[in-house]
Amino acid sequence: MADLVLALIQTAALLALAPLLTGIIRKLKAWMQSRRGPPIYQPYLDLAKLMRKGSVVSEDSSWVTTITPYVCLISMVVAALLVPAFVTESLGFLGDLIVLVYLFAMTRFFTALAALDAGSTFGGMGSSREMLVSSLIEPAILLSFFTVALLTGTTSLVSVTSVIATSGASLIGPALLLAFAAFLIAVLAENARVPVDNPSTHLELTMIHEAMLLEYSGKDLALMEYSSMVKLTLFVTIAWSAFLPWGVATEITAPALALGVIVFLAKLLTLAVVIAVIESSMAKLRLFRLPNLLTGAFMLAFLAVMSYFVL
Amino acid sequence: MAELDVNLIDGLAALVLLTAFLIVATGRMRTLVRVFALQSLALGLLAAAVAYSTGYWHIYIVAALTILLKALVIPRIIDRVMDRIQVANDVEPSVRTPSSLLIAGGLAILAYYVAEPLIQSGETITAGALALSLAVVLIGLFVMISRKKAITQVIGLLVMENGLFMAALSLSYGMPLIVELGVFFDIMVAVLIMGVFVFRINRTFDTLDTSFLRRLRD
Amino acid sequence: MLELLLLIPVLTALVCLLLRDRRKVEWASSLGSVALLAASLLASYDVVTNGAKDEGTLYMDGLSAFMLMLVAIVSLATSLYSVGYMGRELQEGRFGAKRISYYYALLHAFVMTMVLVCLSDNLGVMWIAIEATTLASAFLVSFYNSESSLEAAWKYVIICSVGITLALLGTILLYASSIQQLGEGGGSLEWSSLLAMAGQLDPTLLRISFILVLVGYGTKVGLAPMHTWLPDAHSQAPTPISALLSGVLLNCAMYAILRYHMISSTSLGPGFSGGLLVLFGVLSMAIAAAFIILAKDFKRLLAYSSIEHMGVIALGFGIGGPLGIIGGLLQMLNHALTKSALFFGAGQVYARTKTRTIEEIRGLSKTMPITSTLWFAGFLAIVGCPPFGIFVSELVILMAGLQAGELLVISLYLVLLAIIFAVVLLRASRMVFGHPPKEQGRREGDLSAILLIVALLAGVLVLGLYLPQGLNDMLEGIARLFPGGG
Repeated sequence: MADLVLALIQTAALLALAPLLTGIIRKLKAWMQSRRGPPIYQPYLDLAKLMRKGSVVSEDSSWVTTITPYVCLISMVVAALLVPAFVTESLGFLGDLIVLVYLFAMTRFFTALAALDAGSTFGGMGSSREMLVSSLIEPAILLSFFTVALLTGTTSLVSVTSVIATSGASLIGPALLLAFAAFLIAVLAENARVPVDNPSTHLELTMIHEAMLLEYSGKDLALMEYSSMVKLTLFVTIAWSAFLPWGVATEITAPALALGVIVFLAKLLTLAVVIAVIESSMAKLRLFRLPNLLTGAFMLAFLAVMSYFVL
Repeated sequence: MAELDVNLIDGLAALVLLTAFLIVATGRMRTLVRVFALQSLALGLLAAAVAYSTGYWHIYIVAALTILLKALVIPRIIDRVMDRIQVANDVEPSVRTPSSLLIAGGLAILAYYVAEPLIQSGETITAGALALSLAVVLIGLFVMISRKKAITQVIGLLVMENGLFMAALSLSYGMPLIVELGVFFDIMVAVLIMGVFVFRINRTFDTLDTSFLRRLRD
Repeated sequence: MLELLLLIPVLTALVCLLLRDRRKVEWASSLGSVALLAASLLASYDVVTNGAKDEGTLYMDGLSAFMLMLVAIVSLATSLYSVGYMGRELQEGRFGAKRISYYYALLHAFVMTMVLVCLSDNLGVMWIAIEATTLASAFLVSFYNSESSLEAAWKYVIICSVGITLALLGTILLYASSIQQLGEGGGSLEWSSLLAMAGQLDPTLLRISFILVLVGYGTKVGLAPMHTWLPDAHSQAPTPISALLSGVLLNCAMYAILRYHMISSTSLGPGFSGGLLVLFGVLSMAIAAAFIILAKDFKRLLAYSSIEHMGVIALGFGIGGPLGIIGGLLQMLNHALTKSALFFGAGQVYARTKTRTIEEIRGLSKTMPITSTLWFAGFLAIVGCPPFGIFVSELVILMAGLQAGELLVISLYLVLLAIIFAVVLLRASRMVFGHPPKEQGRREGDLSAILLIVALLAGVLVLGLYLPQGLNDMLEGIARLFPGGG
């Protein structure tokens, strides 16, 4: 019973922390650019404000536009049930790494569809670019998941986490590190971060993800924004849990749990800093340069699989 | 202890291959030279790790020479050449970067299949690195073929040499010392001679693009 | 003793580099080459009568002695020819006066690296020596510093370096398989000891190793399809250097392959490595035949003919047996002498006509009757007309093939030889006969060049008429070194 409760708490924490992570990254970026920036809880306020407003939906759009925010939200909540953050428990009785990949793919599919639905030029442009990026990055994600699955002999994320966390240093090797590196690029690419996309731009010619949300307003926009915040949090959590999960609580005792929570927060913060540094120091890549980076991620993951077999 | 050694050696071997991929991926000449230096450094450290875990002193000499010549002197020479003739910083691949990366990946798979029977018969602690070294050799060859500038061809050749060197380490803990020294000497002389040719080509043709070199044919 | 053989060209090179006066440099170079030939004769005589000599990293048996003689003879001819040829080029201002000592120094350094190839016992050292031949000759190929010679030299260095890198990989694999036998730290690269334990080497490693070595050194030999550097380098280098490249450098690389062939066929039986040699041999002959038809430049024509002859030699050794091996060795010798004579003649023709394009040359028999007669005799010799030596050696290889029952290979061999025979003689007679394009007076080539050509062709003629007993014994001795050659 305790494990079930813990798993629920964990999921709730992931869902609750998501806007905070976005807020922290924004704040860090502001510091690095010598601005004061909004407070770190600003995303909560933004979401709350949007939730109170009504939505305007284009007359030409169909039911796809209406249901997409809910599809996205539900997929993300389901995904959050599967991801271990500070304790190796989850409600993922059925799901494994592959299901996670498909949940994310479903979000993307519906978002792209909804962007096309309203028939605006920007939406179409955004979804075509999103599909380009995802078709290049998805193989990298699958291959890096494949690597850890090979290393640990399981595809369930919780088991992966606990096997790596309990096996000491012997699993640290080129395969794991390369897969981690590949997944980090995937974190940036999947969540529309620099250098793939710039989350804070609304410049017509460059935006990818934002272009797909242009038609949304009010409550629907809040749901979409919130889904992508959760998605970022989940990716960051998976990056740690699937590849470098050390510190996570593998047994249910108070000290282990306390350590797990502290380590988890530290890990979130670390990646937040990394993302903020990258976003402050690099420029967004030109669209035509994107395949270079994304194929690079794919090759990293490929090398990971190869070094698993070879070394 | 022994396991940690193996982990370290494997990690460095993977780093050598990773840098080979970076050499394929990079679009800047300066970065290319830096990455090559990094690769040589990783290779030197790999040799040192092998020397440490096997206790063969002559590998230390080889490791030191690798770091000195390939990670420091040769990149410096290439940098000099590039300064003197003011090479544009673009690599100018004739195969675009994503395709290049995929081809390099294919070559790595090929290397794995070629090396597999050899790995089975190998007895050294580093036998696994053989596939990676063959991959580095093939990628070096690919860099030579797919990049137009004379300097990149030289770097491709050096990458091939690095791969060979790793193959020698992983199969037989290197070659007899006299042979290693001779090989180093030859490589140094080869780089110097190619450097001179790069100057002359640049002076005569006013470009480094070797695709201009096609007057001689039947 | 064996070190002396290396020391002579090194000293000659240094002396040439230090001397400034052209006459003195030429004397030093000629004397150095004579000394090398004398020392090689002595050492070879010693080896033939007293058996192989093993001096640590240096080793000399009948095969090394044979190769050494080739190097010494052709390099002597080359350095004598260079005196007249490069002297005239200098007077015509094709390069600065200071560079003549640089030329001779590089020439002898190049000779030294080839001597080292023949004498090294350690296969690693042999690799170093072969890479060094490329490096030493690179500046010789680009000696004129023209656009096309730079291009040729760049291709030469890059392609040969890549090839030789593969050969190093092959050498590493061979070393690994010897380590498996002798234990860690006890591995050996000395081919004499590798040959002794060839039976125990890992066959998989050995197979891959031989393939890599064949492709790697085969690049240097000019075996198709790795031959692309060869016509460029041969046509752009100064003519004496072309003779040296074609006459001995290719043979030296072939010698390296033969050493691996001996190890490999002792361990795996002659079928594997011999079969590969036959394959590459026939392929080289076929590609050379095709390009000989296309060639427009007579130096390139000669270069493709070298590829063809390397193919014939590879075929001879690949078929194996006493006849095949003796045929291959004789072919090496005959080709080295004939091709040097042909390049020397080509140099004289170029000096007179200032063009290398076959189409633009007519009626040499009117403008330079003696030289062109000799040149034409050289062409007759190279395509295998009796009574010249190449006829005999090609016949011996033919017999070896018939004995081994390789009918398909032999029929291809005959067809290709016939094609090359026809095309080369057609091109040669276009240049020699007919009327000169414009009225030109009679002027022969240099007397020294004519004498050298006469001497070389006389050698080939003698080899075609009868085989001296001493040479015959030597060849049979070498054949016994090969498995199945006794």
